[in-house]
Amino acid sequence: MTLVTTRPGTGAARPYAFPAVRRVTAHGGTVIAAHLPGQILASALLLLDAGAARETDGREGTATVLAKSLEEGTRKRDSAAYALALESLGAELSPGVDWDTFRVGVSAPGPLLADAMRLAAEAARTPKLDPADVARVRDDEVTALRMDWAQPGPRADATLRADLFGDDGRYSRPLHGDPTSVAAVTVDDVLAFHEAWLRRPGVLLVAGDLDALDLAALAEAAFDGTSGDPLEQAGPLGVRLPPRRRTILVDRPDSVQSTLRLGHRAPERATPDYVPMTLAATVLGGAFTSRLNHLIREVKGYTYGIRGSYAMTRRSGRFEVAAGVQTAVTAPAIRDTLGEIARTQREGVTEAELEVARSWRAGQLSVEMQTPGAIAGALATLVVHGLPDDYYETLRREYLEATVEQVSKAAAEHLAVDGLTLVVEGDGAAIREELTEFGDLIDSDI
Amino acid sequence: MIARVTSPSAPVATTGYPWPIETAQLANGLRVVVSEDRTAPVVCVNLWYDVGSRHEPPGQTGFAHLFEHLMFEGSQHVKKTEHMKLVQGNGGSLNATTNPDRTNYFETMPSEHLELALWLEADRMGGLVPALTQETLDNQREVVKNERRQRYENVPYGDAWLRLLPLLYPQGHPYHHATIGSMEDLNAAALETFQAFHQQYYAPNNAVLTVVGDTTPAEVFALAEKYFGAIATVPGIPAAPDGTLPTPATEAVREAVTAKVPAPRIYLSHRTYPFGTAGYDAVTVLATVLGNGRGSRLYQRLADGSRIAQPDYIGAYGVDLAHAPAPLIITATAKDGVGIDALEAGLTEVVQSLIDEPVTPDELNRAKALLTTAWWRGVSTVGGRADLLGRYATQFGDPATAADRLPKWLAVTADDVTEAAAHVLRPESRVTLTYVPGEPS
Repeated sequence: MTLVTTRPGTGAARPYAFPAVRRVTAHGGTVIAAHLPGQILASALLLLDAGAARETDGREGTATVLAKSLEEGTRKRDSAAYALALESLGAELSPGVDWDTFRVGVSAPGPLLADAMRLAAEAARTPKLDPADVARVRDDEVTALRMDWAQPGPRADATLRADLFGDDGRYSRPLHGDPTSVAAVTVDDVLAFHEAWLRRPGVLLVAGDLDALDLAALAEAAFDGTSGDPLEQAGPLGVRLPPRRRTILVDRPDSVQSTLRLGHRAPERATPDYVPMTLAATVLGGAFTSRLNHLIREVKGYTYGIRGSYAMTRRSGRFEVAAGVQTAVTAPAIRDTLGEIARTQREGVTEAELEVARSWRAGQLSVEMQTPGAIAGALATLVVHGLPDDYYETLRREYLEATVEQVSKAAAEHLAVDGLTLVVEGDGAAIREELTEFGDLIDSDI
Repeated sequence: MIARVTSPSAPVATTGYPWPIETAQLANGLRVVVSEDRTAPVVCVNLWYDVGSRHEPPGQTGFAHLFEHLMFEGSQHVKKTEHMKLVQGNGGSLNATTNPDRTNYFETMPSEHLELALWLEADRMGGLVPALTQETLDNQREVVKNERRQRYENVPYGDAWLRLLPLLYPQGHPYHHATIGSMEDLNAAALETFQAFHQQYYAPNNAVLTVVGDTTPAEVFALAEKYFGAIATVPGIPAAPDGTLPTPATEAVREAVTAKVPAPRIYLSHRTYPFGTAGYDAVTVLATVLGNGRGSRLYQRLADGSRIAQPDYIGAYGVDLAHAPAPLIITATAKDGVGIDALEAGLTEVVQSLIDEPVTPDELNRAKALLTTAWWRGVSTVGGRADLLGRYATQFGDPATAADRLPKWLAVTADDVTEAAAHVLRPESRVTLTYVPGEPS
């Protein structure tokens, strides 16, 4: 007997379906719920139109300090009693901030979700926000950011963002602020942010076995005592590219790797090219067999991994390649990376590569959306970007039907190798000289 | 059987695995575990090989993990780069990990590609050696060296785990060295060693194949026979060195590191009990009482109470290793203006409190509720379930015993926690690793 020599064919595929979605409007807000029969855990996610983009210039990080202050006690109980009450349900609060939203999430076994949601809302709607506590949380956040910024990556990210979005106010600064801007946040900033944005109803997303969940009770917990109309949305920031490429060095003495962040601006999430752009980026740097990972990792051995992707929010977008490469091969790794970006922009993709990208992106919609948390996140995407309930079925079909011509056209239009900003965080003494081969070299002031 | 949960007190589970499990064994020794779940059109294929860094002889540290990389580089009927292309190109997610105990490989696929996944796994179990080349080894050696730089060398405190292991386990113990290995040993790795490694350990009788999701046991058993049935048994696979140790250690050790770190930090560690024992269940609850969540003793007393520790960097956790007493790691990082000595005094006082101050019903209830949610989160995907069953089949001989873990956690009493604390947390058995900011000496 020997191994089976021929690759097996594909079995019969079951049709794809996103979980059934139910909507309930009650107590002044909307609940959007996805039914996951048999799931023991359930997730609730309160989505508020209070993202980092609503922060004041120079006080970037206000929303993050607020998020971290919510569990410092509520009008009903102090922080120790709050932690015990919530964690005794097996739940933990996960408040978070992104560019578009402020999110307060909670997960628990289904029968405990309503109690957990009541506690989550108690923290989100009626936190104590004692001035001494808020000031301490702010100081702790400054320290935590300094811890984070001691790792490779955050300084390079901030440098690239400042360069790409320099004229766009809040978007030119890091999502969670930097140690200086957070240190400048006042207690009044935090109280004002809460008063202005967290007392509005928002939308509650729920994922779990709906046969065991009371959506009306969840709505009451989430929306009771809130008021305010939906807010108007500002338009996209637009895509502006610099006249020529430039390189910015972020010095990190003795670093054994160079952290690469190569990027340029791109359209926002609502772009009609979303699907072909995503597939082009998958061929270039998304899949394991992508052009970048194949050449830089699997052929050259320069890195543990390299990724290229578009990141898009309601108002902004950017293309980025990210990697950590061994210090000694910094210039060769950048040279090869630019070569693959240029080739993809110029020549587009092949059918063989696109076939992998199509099937992977489509398959991931079922493979990576198994948990209540993942499904609640998928519902949030629908709300933030105004997409219909059957969006994921449509998205899957569009992935599978995308042609080489469409994807190659998107690569040509939305990649700009000559307009890249090359941020390199590494040992300046070792790499400064060789970086000049890529054009103007400046030092980061971050 | 269905898990029963009552509200609003802590959930009571009668089983941690309310799905069916069926098992079979091929003539060549391969054990096959199937757990059917038709909820979503996805299926996970998972292989546990009972080989990890504990099997590595001196001079070959890091070889089990480097070998794991080679398993993605082609086999007898799968060309180089084809493995990843076929899995991702059919919608799947895949990965593999190596730890001191074992090596696991897994892919979650849309279920119509189950047979493809089994064929790929069989080909690299039975036919890796003919495809293994010097070029592939040289390339993946560089990739792994970059993994070491990225995860351990280039980040503050990144080498803590590498430093703790030799302090916790004596020279010659299978857990003495870290899985990532040393740069010297990786540089010296020869192709013949890896060919021999595969022939020795990647045998059907040294593996468990687990399939969870949208399929049936009958289908999986038939496909397992079709694709894996021809692979020959390897007789006489050598066991790893014995990990038995007198528990706990009898002499405290410490290491003080000055490095480019942003703040003073301490790791306290103790050897406890092997994963899977009643003692380790008590340690799991103990670690949650001590260091998991804002209601934990560490958070309440050091981040919230005396405010000497940074709230984002405080915690306690066990590392679930099964072949020797597993480590418990307790860590805290100083707030601005707090010195390493004050932090250590505060930290050791809270650790000592687990021996001196009984765990209250509220503390115990909180810990069990958090462990319950964590358990259900772990089994909420077909991938999480497949890995769990593979673990219990490999380490305890029966995948069905996975269902007992959660009920056993929930049966731990306050007295059990105190008893475990008194046994494992003694100062004279402690490993203390400190970091302070400064130029490395």
